[in-house]
Amino acid sequence: MTSQVLYQEPIEEAIASLETWIDNHRQSNLFREYTFSSRSLALLLLQKDPSLWSALKQDEEQCREVEIVLTVAQNKLEYPVNLAIAQTRQQQARRLESIVLQETKRTQTSLTETLHRFTVNPLTGFPLLVVILYFGVYKFVGEFGAGELVDRIEGFYEGQINPIVNQITAQIIPWQSLQDLIANDYGIITLGIRYAVAIVLPVVATYFLMFSLLEDSGYLPRMSLMLDRLFKSMGLSGRAVIPMVLGLGCDTMATMVTRTLETKRERVIATFLLSLAVPCAAQWGVILGLLAQKPAALMVWGGLITAIFLAVGYITAKLLPGSSGGFYMEVPPLRLPKLRNILTKTWIRMKWYFWEILPLFIWASVFIWIGRLTGLFEMIIRGIEPLVAAIGMPPETAPVFLYGFFRRDYGAAGLFDIQQQGLLTGNQLVVAAIVLTLFLPCIAQLQMMIKERGLKTTIAMVLFIVPFAFLTGYCVNLGLTLLGVNL
Amino acid sequence: MNCHQCPKNNCTNQKSPGWWKLFRKTPRALELSSQDAQIALVGMPNVGKSVLFNRLTGIYVTVSNYPGTTVEVSRGLAQIGEQNVLVIDTPGMYSLVPISDEERVARDLLLKTSLTAVIQVVDAKNLGRMLPLTFQLIEAGLPLLLAVNMMDEAHRLGLKVQQKALAVELGIPVILTSAALNQGIDELKSALAKCLPSERVAIPA
Amino acid sequence: MNALSTVTIGQSQTVVHLATDQQNVMRKLMALGIMPGSSLVLEQRFPSYIIKVGHTRTALDGETAASIFVE
Ligand SMILES: Nc1nc2c(ncn2[C@@H]2O[C@H](COP(=O)(O)OP(=O)(O)OP(=O)(O)O)[C@@H](O)[C@H]2O)c(=O)[nH]1
Ligand SMILES: [Mg+2]
Repeated sequence: MTSQVLYQEPIEEAIASLETWIDNHRQSNLFREYTFSSRSLALLLLQKDPSLWSALKQDEEQCREVEIVLTVAQNKLEYPVNLAIAQTRQQQARRLESIVLQETKRTQTSLTETLHRFTVNPLTGFPLLVVILYFGVYKFVGEFGAGELVDRIEGFYEGQINPIVNQITAQIIPWQSLQDLIANDYGIITLGIRYAVAIVLPVVATYFLMFSLLEDSGYLPRMSLMLDRLFKSMGLSGRAVIPMVLGLGCDTMATMVTRTLETKRERVIATFLLSLAVPCAAQWGVILGLLAQKPAALMVWGGLITAIFLAVGYITAKLLPGSSGGFYMEVPPLRLPKLRNILTKTWIRMKWYFWEILPLFIWASVFIWIGRLTGLFEMIIRGIEPLVAAIGMPPETAPVFLYGFFRRDYGAAGLFDIQQQGLLTGNQLVVAAIVLTLFLPCIAQLQMMIKERGLKTTIAMVLFIVPFAFLTGYCVNLGLTLLGVNL
Repeated sequence: MNCHQCPKNNCTNQKSPGWWKLFRKTPRALELSSQDAQIALVGMPNVGKSVLFNRLTGIYVTVSNYPGTTVEVSRGLAQIGEQNVLVIDTPGMYSLVPISDEERVARDLLLKTSLTAVIQVVDAKNLGRMLPLTFQLIEAGLPLLLAVNMMDEAHRLGLKVQQKALAVELGIPVILTSAALNQGIDELKSALAKCLPSERVAIPA
Repeated sequence: MNALSTVTIGQSQTVVHLATDQQNVMRKLMALGIMPGSSLVLEQRFPSYIIKVGHTRTALDGETAASIFVE
């Protein structure tokens, strides 16, 4: 009793012959695991469904048989087969809609409609984009989250918690070396958990809060359509805007979301840019906090990372064969975000992020502890010191780059610590910030890259990123020195 | 590459960041026995599948106001009538012929999993645009239910949906919902209960 | 037959032809309800094309929109 759509004569004929053919091959490897009816599979074949066809291609004879049926049908039709099929469905849908859907009143332009116009009109939309970035990102996440909040929580942690932890450990654990595992300079609680709780978490939380607002209001698709042209120059399309903005929160999540991009080329470029030039919230938040007092330094860092993002994107697009996918996106109505949803989402992402980093931060503390105990730490540090010196850094920053290996955000947090001790000049701070931003993605992101893009592509990307990060640091340092700039 | 390729019991979204796992009080999906019915939520992007998933299972998955929020399959248990049912949330898809990767995830799940019921979620405001997918799902011979969602927004635009007529024309159960406002969920559950194999009883309180 | 680049903004138009031989462009347009016979309103062209079909708004780039021809 279920109603079926009836297609044009030639298509129905093709379906009929394909159906018989499929029924005869039902037991073959190709169709055995499929749950769809033969009619549906026939229609998928007629519409040139990519995965069915690629399975079919393994047997040339089968392929030819289907090809013939398709050509016969096509020759009798005015439109391409898949368009003819879609049109019949659409007509039937319209007919049905007109029966079951009544429009009782004509709606006049509402507030959301006016707001929508405001967001997408180039005259108002681009300024709005800048305003949102300035207040949402710079003011709220940068100044409030990474500045204010981190200062308070970090101050509280160092002032109240660390001394108590140090004291207690000193009392109950008699061995100095074991005390160091938990407390003092590199301890699990005094360093690992402090980084996670006091430095990374406030930044991530404020970013996710702001991002949830953007997500739930429906602004992101509008941002995509505003930025499509810019992204086209990097071989991407406006569809890549959402993963990129998400990447400013967490690159691991964003790498998975590159699935929504249409072509493989786009997905590769997006993954590459995410791992190279899109810092995650913890990273850029901390850096923003660090450089907030030095606007010039902030400009150099921000300008350079943006330039690298655009330039590397542009060059990659030139080098990679293939075309970028066209831009198409549904633009949902603007909706008033529900507070509950915003808070739940932020809370869950925060929790997820926290549990993701906490074990790693703790392990990092343990490794550093073992390393220091065995002298390995010193050895590695001494090993990378020349490298660090080459980009104009004091030797004290060597551990930061070692942390950077564990996780980007861990490295950024380490940088924060060193800066607190007033060890770095403006130039050094900028160079360190740049290298850490470009440097290797975190382990979770690497895993996701391997899963989504494959091992080979990931290795190729990593082999580019590491030298590139240091080289850029070297050049920036050299450039600043030669120009006599003191940031 | 996709979740549906591993045995269904304990692969609840394990490869994605899976932050919702932390939200759950008990790992309910793990108590699943293999005879349990499986149902999938499918439909075009941004129609409210994930909200509905949340309403049915109590498990949070990301809900946002843009197409392409969900890119990976999520699974969770729901209590339908007296039975435990495995509910699967899928990425949005426009038609059974996928354009991008996340659409392929949803399509392949439908193509390769035997399901007790499939709920297609549609946006009432855009019924005409979404029905072609309904036709395709019916063509595929899937046990389909139609959840016409966003009824609140449709009302605001002055749109009325003739539920009965639609159900008769399509030959499948049709339920009107406003998932975000928690409306129509009980009706959906009792319609689902009728689709489940045995024990066709108990309208949930 | 007119290209979208020439029609008046804000007026209802009927699609008569999709001029593309790329399967994917065709699929996208069909997915969004844009195909011969459907009526649409062009809302703007820059920075992207915005097209309204029924209650659905869709953003397209110039190249994709160029394959849509209206009465
Ligand atoms: N007003 C209203 N909004 C709703 C309703 N259901 C869902 N929404 C909103 O619609 C948007 C999309 O909801 P989701 O559940 O993420 O949609 P989805 O179908 O899972 O989308 P994808 O994962 O992208 O395919 C969110 O902003 C929801 O709050 C409803 O019944 N009424
Ligand atoms: Mg979803």
